[in-house]
Amino acid sequence: MKSYTRMLTFIIILGAATSLIFVGMEFWTTPLIEANAAIELRSTILDANGEAYTTATVNEVFMAKIETVVQNDLTLYVHRASGSVSYEFSGSGVWGPIIGIITLERDLETIRHLRVLQQEETPGLGGVVADPSYLAGYFGARMVPQLDFAVPGTDRLPNQVDRITGATRTSNSFRTILNNSYLSYLEFMQEVGD
Amino acid sequence: MKLVRLRYTRWFNILRDGISHKNPIAVAVLGICSALAVTNRVENAIAMGLGVTFVLMASSATVSLLRSFIPSKLRMVTYMVIISTYVITVQMFLAAYFPVISRALGAYVGLIITNCIVMGRAEAFAVRNNPRYSMLDGLASGLGYTLVLIVVGAVRELLAVGTLLNAQVMPDSFTTWTVMALAPGGFFIVGLFIWGIRELIHYHEAA
Repeated sequence: MKSYTRMLTFIIILGAATSLIFVGMEFWTTPLIEANAAIELRSTILDANGEAYTTATVNEVFMAKIETVVQNDLTLYVHRASGSVSYEFSGSGVWGPIIGIITLERDLETIRHLRVLQQEETPGLGGVVADPSYLAGYFGARMVPQLDFAVPGTDRLPNQVDRITGATRTSNSFRTILNNSYLSYLEFMQEVGD
Repeated sequence: MKLVRLRYTRWFNILRDGISHKNPIAVAVLGICSALAVTNRVENAIAMGLGVTFVLMASSATVSLLRSFIPSKLRMVTYMVIISTYVITVQMFLAAYFPVISRALGAYVGLIITNCIVMGRAEAFAVRNNPRYSMLDGLASGLGYTLVLIVVGAVRELLAVGTLLNAQVMPDSFTTWTVMALAPGGFFIVGLFIWGIRELIHYHEAA
């Protein structure tokens, strides 16, 4: 009996001590991690619009070149000079959320730039979804009537892009995420565009 | 004379065992999974090696400090909790201060938790030795692991992309060996390396 009490006490103390460490680390690192994420988002949007910046000036340049418009839960980043529009998309992939930034041309239909910032797809297969050289194939594709995959043996239409070989489910989820987020932002973008 | 005496001190033996005579990868054949996965680039190998060395030292020291309190039935669970605590701490620290490295290593930092070397040293050494020697043992095993990772990583990076630490080494006419970037290349090089180091220290398993 005594040994069981001892074990229980040990488990409780160990659990409390480690939890305390985690809470402390969380408090300490969360603001830094959030700041890193914000910088990453801003530098991605600046990259998409071809603006030059350094890690020290990213916030300054972003404020000067990009206008942030917020409505309800939606946030649009409008490039003042060219009128191209960026927004963050997110949705479920195969193993976890896929989050990224898409930038559309002024016509609100043509993809100008696309980056995936966070994903948990199978490394080497679905993980290709975050590969910039894969995403480069989306540049210039059109979101209307809706983004789709090219059919082998037929001519590629303006709204068609390549699938990821060996990752059918990731490809399908990614297409769905892009199309759904486009629809949910469309009305807001048209309002801002006018 | 001093050098000769050095060979008989305890800390020298612990260091030598960790790095060569009981090298965690070549002799104990532990931690092979990560050795195959992250050795396609030297920089990944270095970062992974440093991470494992830190976690090994910290967890060995902690286990050793707590060794008279840990109920023997709960040994394994306690090791796991201590190791995970350190690994998650390292992961948060990297994400906060070195976002680029943290991104490049991806899931592998979290996988240090399942690296058998850390658990193996806790059970084989730290639980019955004092914190000072346990930490040294952790350092020695960590260095032994890092050494193998860097050598294997250097060979694979050189043959697979013709670079070392991202600097071009091979002439442009060099045909890269794609197989070296893939898992089989890791098996070949790790296998050859284990053979080499075992010949060097005259370690032969009884048939």
